[in-house]
Amino acid sequence: MNIRFEQVMPFPLSSIKHGEESIWGNKVRFDSGEKVILNASSGKGKSTFTMTTLGLRHDYSGNVFYNDNDIRSMSYEDWTNIRQTKISVVFQDLQLFPKLTVRENLKLKNDLSPVYTEEELRSLLNQLGIANKWDQECGILSMGQQQRVAIIRALAQPFEWILLDEPFSHLDEENTQKCLTLIHQRCDEQRAGFILTTLGDDHGTKYDREQKL
Amino acid sequence: MLKKLLFKNQDKKQLIIAMIGAFMGITFLITSIHYLIKVNEFGEGADILGPNTIIVQKKVSNSSSLNLTKTDFSESEIQKMKNEPFIEDVQPVISNNFDVSFETADPMVPRFRTDVFIQTIDPEFLDVKSDKWHWKEGDEFVPIVLPRDFLVMLNTFMSAQGIPQVSDDLAKDVKFKFTLKNDTDKEWVDARIIGFTNEVASILVPESFMKYGNDKYSTEKEKKITQIMIAGKESEFGRVEEMLNERGLESKNSQMVVGRLKSMVGTLFLVVLGISVIAVFVSGLVLIQYMQLLMSRNAYEVRTLLRIGYPPKMLINHFFIYFVKVFGIISASGLAVFFIFKFFLDEMFESGGLYIDTTLSYQSVLSLLFAYLIFSVASYRNAQKGIFKDY
Repeated sequence: MNIRFEQVMPFPLSSIKHGEESIWGNKVRFDSGEKVILNASSGKGKSTFTMTTLGLRHDYSGNVFYNDNDIRSMSYEDWTNIRQTKISVVFQDLQLFPKLTVRENLKLKNDLSPVYTEEELRSLLNQLGIANKWDQECGILSMGQQQRVAIIRALAQPFEWILLDEPFSHLDEENTQKCLTLIHQRCDEQRAGFILTTLGDDHGTKYDREQKL
Repeated sequence: MLKKLLFKNQDKKQLIIAMIGAFMGITFLITSIHYLIKVNEFGEGADILGPNTIIVQKKVSNSSSLNLTKTDFSESEIQKMKNEPFIEDVQPVISNNFDVSFETADPMVPRFRTDVFIQTIDPEFLDVKSDKWHWKEGDEFVPIVLPRDFLVMLNTFMSAQGIPQVSDDLAKDVKFKFTLKNDTDKEWVDARIIGFTNEVASILVPESFMKYGNDKYSTEKEKKITQIMIAGKESEFGRVEEMLNERGLESKNSQMVVGRLKSMVGTLFLVVLGISVIAVFVSGLVLIQYMQLLMSRNAYEVRTLLRIGYPPKMLINHFFIYFVKVFGIISASGLAVFFIFKFFLDEMFESGGLYIDTTLSYQSVLSLLFAYLIFSVASYRNAQKGIFKDY
């Protein structure tokens, strides 16, 4: 599935001057399976990009297309299907359920369109060094631990794209690399692409191109 | 897991208060509808006269005995009564103006003959199918409604003759005949009983037969109207009775007592019904409001579930089913307590001499289903509104 932005301008960002290479106000296309780093400083609309692409914000001019379908014309059923099987996301604010345990948070997502067994989920947690947090409520984990849970939750569904909104902001380099390994592995398995928003650091990972905001 | 996420963190105090309110409302709603119907049905079918119907005449006083005051009804008096808001209809009771006798005409029954007094009333006042209540010249027989006392008299006579007595149903198969006559002419017309009455002392015949007899055999000018039939509106019998007192009219006491009792008990249950409807409505609103509160407390959870791919319909159904179950518990408890109430109330009515039908009225169950349906639709719409607000 290709994603196209055509003259998209979020209203809150319309007063800022954007360059010709920016997504905002220009034509930009993300081809299926591409691995893209979205590099921008604070306030340039990284989270706005994630929310707009996922159909969670509608305060913009211009058009966003999935293949040739304008996302404004999509129904509730279409969005449910997209969010279950086409586009996964790690939100900047993670959006976990603090009163549920790590296990419950992961199963709540995985049970929608099952990808992993419970053992495999534990194994993923183990790879990221938080297997002992399985039965702990997410609300009492550190931000770094919560980020790792949110990444595993995003991987626990079939997808063609994964949107990663500053997913490593609370992680050290070692854990960041472990997470990137998992993300690459899962994308390669499904021939999926990712769009990773960062504040300028590409974390030394492999990617196809860099896109400015 | 969804249940834990959406329903674990709630303050159940308000829910329990709303549930108690709805439970009380539902219990009284079913109870009042059931007894309102049963009390209104009380007495129906026992007599061929319609419900809430009485026959009245003017009270006979010393002055009327001396012909100083009238005991008949004028057209304007009848019209005035018809115009009263609590009166359904008023019709004169027309009597025979010719000589008529009544006798058995069946080989199975010994001959029994007596001069009688016949009357006719509007078919609207009779609990009898209109196709049975008509007569025209040349018809095989005249349908009649017999005073029950007459049957008692007939049975006493038959018993004295050593012949088995006849039941109501058997009496309807016995052939009778009228003899109509004046000084010059005489005619026999066959008759069959189609019903009995405790309220009228004369034999009732269709209006066409009365007209035929009066036209052909009348010896005097038209008779005065001394009795009228009044049909009062449901639960307004008190006002009918008040009018009778004001106008110096009287009726058979048993008719008055039943009417008064039905009116009183009916009004009481109507008041309870009104309060119950308000209670069910208010508690339903409180439950719906609680649902809104629960959804707004879970706004983050709902929004996040939708963002990670949960279908809106699944979340709507979770809230909807939860509240439908809550109302189901309320309805089942209400119905159970109604049966307990019914057990004691039926006994109380019976010991008070009011033998009302104890079978369950389908209208009370229908009212419960209706309340359940309304609440279910309101819950679903409310859940739908709450979920799509976050989409």
